[in-house]
Amino acid sequence: MSRKRALIADTFCLKRRRSAADAVAGDSHAEGAADIRSSLQNLMTLFSRKLFNDSLPPVVLKHQLYSLHSDRTSVDKQLNELRASGELLMFQLGFDSEAFALVFAEDYRAKVLQGEAGRETLETVEKFLDKLIPGCSDLSFNKEKMLKEFLFTDSEITQLVKSGVLTVRDAGSWWLSIPNSGKFIKYFIKGRKAVLGMVKKSKYSEILKTELEGRRTTSHVKFQMKYHIHDIVGAELVECIQTTSGTVLRYVDGNIN
Amino acid sequence: MLSFLYARQSGLDDPVRLRRAESTRRVLSLELNHNRDVARVHGNGINTLDIEVIDGRYMLSGGSDGVIVIYDLENNSKKLQYSCKTICTVGRSSRHVHKFSVETVQWYPHDTGMFVSSSFDKTMKVWDTETLKPAEEFQFDGNVYCHHMSPVARKHSLIAVGTKDPKVQLCDLKSGSRIHILQGHRGEILSVRWSPRYEHILATASTDSRVRVWDVRRASGSLFTLDQQNGDKSKASSEAVNTAHNGRANGLCFTADGLHLLTTGTDDRMRLWNSATGENTLVNYGKVVNESRKGLKFTVSRGCSPEFVFVPCGTSVAVYGLHSGELITMLRGHYNNVDCCEFHPDYQEVYSGGKDCNILAWVPVLRQPDIEDEENNSKRGGTQAAVNPAFEDAWSSDEG
Repeated sequence: MSRKRALIADTFCLKRRRSAADAVAGDSHAEGAADIRSSLQNLMTLFSRKLFNDSLPPVVLKHQLYSLHSDRTSVDKQLNELRASGELLMFQLGFDSEAFALVFAEDYRAKVLQGEAGRETLETVEKFLDKLIPGCSDLSFNKEKMLKEFLFTDSEITQLVKSGVLTVRDAGSWWLSIPNSGKFIKYFIKGRKAVLGMVKKSKYSEILKTELEGRRTTSHVKFQMKYHIHDIVGAELVECIQTTSGTVLRYVDGNIN
Repeated sequence: MLSFLYARQSGLDDPVRLRRAESTRRVLSLELNHNRDVARVHGNGINTLDIEVIDGRYMLSGGSDGVIVIYDLENNSKKLQYSCKTICTVGRSSRHVHKFSVETVQWYPHDTGMFVSSSFDKTMKVWDTETLKPAEEFQFDGNVYCHHMSPVARKHSLIAVGTKDPKVQLCDLKSGSRIHILQGHRGEILSVRWSPRYEHILATASTDSRVRVWDVRRASGSLFTLDQQNGDKSKASSEAVNTAHNGRANGLCFTADGLHLLTTGTDDRMRLWNSATGENTLVNYGKVVNESRKGLKFTVSRGCSPEFVFVPCGTSVAVYGLHSGELITMLRGHYNNVDCCEFHPDYQEVYSGGKDCNILAWVPVLRQPDIEDEENNSKRGGTQAAVNPAFEDAWSSDEG
């Protein structure tokens, strides 16, 4: 009710607000990008590093940002700006065509080189990272691109696949991927299923967000509860309802998971 | 509001501005009104609604029982309470009624003497409104999912028909011929729409996840296919390259100016495209629940300043801002799934029909007189309180 009134007030207050709005518009753009970066950093702190023995950089999923910011289109735009500037890398995870993982470029580089230290594939991987990080914001590469643009040979491509930086997509094309991310995906899917199960089993299939955060997690849930909650809210697997006692998460019927 | 009126009167503002602001305010305050009702005639779900463009007075509805009903939307009685009456129906007792469910109905765009209906009994009938007898009947090989006549056509009178067959058929109303076929899709055609801007541009959506835009004058195939990644082949998996949706594409709607096209798909997404270039504008509407196995009929508002999209989502109608992508509100009132909705541009009303056999009219709420009193009070510096302080209490609030 109050939201509609605010919208109606907006339409009719256009004249009065015109002069004030012009002054604000210039600053908001720069603030917006910083806003997303700080949300990303907050979410990255929720990622449990120790679980993977520090071999993975902190990973955040794109739809977790949607639970923090209401305007999805502007979130998408700002993410694209960050990717174009080379600060952020996006990966396609295999389990859902809409689930994208985000990693800060420096973290990714540091972890990959740390993992590669001492192996013979180190040089090729370094060369690939140098080509990738400032310029390219693609999620997958096909053979032409690798051979002609990046000037890699077939054996070098095999080395990259072996090191885990590339995963096979189909004949002659590869996804960009995070090495050792298989364990992450496995724990993530298990944890998501377990948390959704908790919501589903509650009375009326709904639970207060604060209560869910306080619940004891089973051994299936390896990540922090807040990480999973951002995930299921952002992917709209549960409905977020504001009540007088706080936010209630209600399980949405018709989900496959 | 008064400032808008004054600005219009003195010439500071364009007349259109007041109209747009008021239309937007009315759309934002849509609600079910107990004074407004539509007569309940259908015995089974309602699949399609169409309001004629000339007067905005008569509405056609087609139901799952094959019945077609015409309603009069205008309130000529002097009373506030009004129930939209049926003028005539093509009921089960009529000799020419469709055998199975009517999927799409559309008034002839230039007058109400004629309307076209297509149904799962593999026929499309052109009816004479006066006698309620079909003047022409087109037979097809498979279920007819949808048809559309161009609202702006002057040079042709083609009806585009989408059936189970991957070929889009164009039937000519003047000559009765059906030789023009558009080839290119690989699955059933769930939705067809002509552009409201150019009379030769047609968009079609199909179960092969592709949405194609055609120029019917061209001999070769479609103009372009809408690609959700905008040509960036790296983002999608290799099967999903060049598709508009990750599931079946089942709904199409052009905006009123014809510059943008909205598509919905069973991947629970709605996308906004630039209709001239086919570029995905990447507006993110979030999850738009879509489980329809047939086409989804949704509509866009006309004449408002930020335009709104009304999409049937389960048992309610979701209202989204067109370019911002935010969910404004959900119109709840149906008892079962909503199948179709139509926007009445002159009165800013929305009519929605669904499986519960009801057509609901969503009417803008009338202005409350006390809001203006509050504004006047604040202008005067709040010297005169609206309520005597002796009657004020600490626990009730004046917000609704």
